[in-house]
Amino acid sequence: MSPFSALRVAGLLARRGVAVNISVRAAHGHEISKQEDMSLPMYWDRKDTPLPDIPFQKALTADQQSLKQKELGSWKNLSEEEKIALYRLAFNQTFAEMKKPTQEWKTVVGGVLIFIGLTGLVVWWQRVFVLPPQPHTLKEDWLAAQAKRMIDMRVNPVEGFSSSWDYEKNQWKK
Amino acid sequence: MAHPSQLGFQDAASPVMEELLHFHDHTLMIVFLISTLVLYIIVAMVSTKLTNKYVLDSQEIEIVWTVLPAVILILIALPSLRILYLMDEINDPHLTIKAMGHQWYWSYEYTDYEDLGFDSYMIPTQDLSPGQFRLLETDHRMVVPMESPIRVLVSAEDVLHSWAVPALGIKMDAVPGRLNQTAFITSRPGVYYGQCSEICGRNHSFMPIVVEAVPLEHFENWSSLMLEES
Repeated sequence: MSPFSALRVAGLLARRGVAVNISVRAAHGHEISKQEDMSLPMYWDRKDTPLPDIPFQKALTADQQSLKQKELGSWKNLSEEEKIALYRLAFNQTFAEMKKPTQEWKTVVGGVLIFIGLTGLVVWWQRVFVLPPQPHTLKEDWLAAQAKRMIDMRVNPVEGFSSSWDYEKNQWKK
Repeated sequence: MAHPSQLGFQDAASPVMEELLHFHDHTLMIVFLISTLVLYIIVAMVSTKLTNKYVLDSQEIEIVWTVLPAVILILIALPSLRILYLMDEINDPHLTIKAMGHQWYWSYEYTDYEDLGFDSYMIPTQDLSPGQFRLLETDHRMVVPMESPIRVLVSAEDVLHSWAVPALGIKMDAVPGRLNQTAFITSRPGVYYGQCSEICGRNHSFMPIVVEAVPLEHFENWSSLMLEES
């Protein structure tokens, strides 16, 4: 049971693109991309910092450079596609794309339920093969005698146990 | 004693425990209010459609969330100190009992008038009568007259123990070589259970305390019987 569900979870996580250790990637024949220099301004798509420090595309082709030159003039001269092209040079995702719901929650909930299920199996196995038998004081008849004794002793008579017992009628209060 | 799966306090059997119950209600109410507020803020922050969430400067709210917690703390501290001093009031005990912790039983000495002393061992599970409480019953109980101020001097003969009876609101460490004093009055007759509350070895969980509060005549009969026995 265990190795199969672990593979399933690993597969789900891989599809999500979760970062894997660089040396593991190299060992599996993948390229290693250049490490980011964290001291320089970075670009990121975030709803709460909507104007990143740098544009998305830093290195521009000749066409893109001429478009940037055109941008310096009046924007009335720009066509729809040119405006969109300029937007995409500056930003990676639009707000709509950023806010689009992912299906990540299904992976998370599924993973959690799987592990809860595994834990349940472990607990059941422990109950059967590891734990000693319960004390005899937890049997039905003992608990009944104990409850009777607690009522006779007036255990917690104010708001607790015995307060629910009707001493006149000798029964639990309705 | 507690009923199975009980979460809250047992009913108070002494005035001090009543005060502690009410104080706990008061403080827990404050805790719930603060937790609800924090939970609401978290949910609001996570689910907002607004993008500009990070205000960098606001003197007014800074003042509020500095002064308000200080006020709340004072509102908690004042009742707490009141009860603390209440517990230390000069009382005039009718009886002084010495509770000595041993590994792994308690011994009680009533030496005001006669020399009465006895040990109080837990009744093992296999020796219980039907209906008795597992790990709580003892062969001899500490019997006290009800509605009388009692002084208990707690100490230990070997290692640290702690003499605790939750229904009376008492917990007092038993330190070898030291006498710790606590006092209580039982508001009603009854049997009140407690357990050793300081780790003291392999049977730390198996040296309970049972206090039985009875009318004075019953107490006098009991102490005469106990003296005859020993």
